[in-house]
Amino acid sequence: MLLDAAAAPLTARPYYQNGDPGPLVAALATVPELLEVSLPFLTTVLGASTLDARTKEIVIVRTSALLHCVYCGNSHSVVALDSGLTAAEVVALRDEPRAALGGEREDALLGWVDAVAGGNGPVADAVAARFGRSFADHEVVELTLLVGATMMLNRFCTALELPTSPAVIDRLTAAGLR
Amino acid sequence: MSTPAAAVAAGVLPGRVWLYSNYHCNLTCTYCLTESGPGVQRRELTAERMLETARQAAELGFTALGVTGGEPFLVPDMPKTLAGLGAILPTVGLTNGTLFTGRRLAAVEVLAGTDVALQISLDSADPAVNDEARGPDNFAKVVAAIPALIERGITVRIATTGESDNPDDLARLCELHRGLGVPDSDHVVRPVISRGRAVTADLGVDATVDDLPAELTITADGAFWSPFGPTVINGRLDTDLLLTRTTDPLRVPAQTLLGLVEGRPAGGDTTLNIR
Repeated sequence: MLLDAAAAPLTARPYYQNGDPGPLVAALATVPELLEVSLPFLTTVLGASTLDARTKEIVIVRTSALLHCVYCGNSHSVVALDSGLTAAEVVALRDEPRAALGGEREDALLGWVDAVAGGNGPVADAVAARFGRSFADHEVVELTLLVGATMMLNRFCTALELPTSPAVIDRLTAAGLR
Repeated sequence: MSTPAAAVAAGVLPGRVWLYSNYHCNLTCTYCLTESGPGVQRRELTAERMLETARQAAELGFTALGVTGGEPFLVPDMPKTLAGLGAILPTVGLTNGTLFTGRRLAAVEVLAGTDVALQISLDSADPAVNDEARGPDNFAKVVAAIPALIERGITVRIATTGESDNPDDLARLCELHRGLGVPDSDHVVRPVISRGRAVTADLGVDATVDDLPAELTITADGAFWSPFGPTVINGRLDTDLLLTRTTDPLRVPAQTLLGLVEGRPAGGDTTLNIR
């Protein structure tokens, strides 16, 4: 199911120019028209934006923990470390029940993430109100889409059993996260 | 990006759309791109699907169709389907030419006077050389079928695939096809392409995307850059020339193909005479 460089379809080839693009691209390349739209979408939603990288990685790591996605949890634990989270903070996000990170803004965010990714139906008014006090409307929209996109990735990567790269495992081991 | 119609009219995009009607075949040729044979998965396009693709191709501005396989005439009602396709756009149907006896020969008469030509594979004027690649009695069946088809008013072309660079071999073959009633203008000669079973047999020349005309090719597995794209090796479909899995609406792969063609450096696409 994962295409290597020799099997990469024409429109997928740019993703292979710098070597192994990783299992997500290698899987999506089997349906190149999906790769063409989903990668830019995911890069936009998960990548650099007006929200700082730390905030976004908190969302991604926590969502991935709630959905038990090993691939995303591992990969984004490394990104989280690179985005300024400590190993202890990453552990706190991955634990169940999770520990608080200690600041009102981030704890309000985590309450929102837990409700959106871990719950069903509407988010409780109190959770939404607390989240809304710390984030502007456009940030609420962006962070909620980030949760949703991460959930989509979580289910995709888990169902297809995408493998964690050896480099990620090495980083996690070095940080005491395995 | 321009439209497919404008690109075809300007000669930027080839006008022919290919349809892989099926992958199974009564032969197991040594150089077959698709590892076709009697036991392979059929992976057919239905007649309705082919006709709808043809209608969309015409609407998009494509100017011709090709049907290949596998052996298309193993599919029931292929003569009627080809006639339907020919009513939409000029069509060439590729066939190994070994099935045109009895009821199949009678059924193919529906193509007489239509805008459909049958392109039959014949690789050598030497029966032994031809049959070595294409199977026992292939030569005899083909040289019997060609005049029988022509007598019934069907346009026949001959495609020669091979590695011989001996001009005497080609001259003898041309003498043969002229004698069978096929003029030089309806004889194409092309090399064995090193894809599919030819790789396993260590035959042919390597062809990259730059060597292959960008002829939109529709299969049950998706759309490809060229009819030389949806090849199979060791039972696995090659994806290196896959455009999209989406084939309906046809504009999806057509626009993808056009985008790639317009980003492609000019020249260098005819060096192997792959047509």
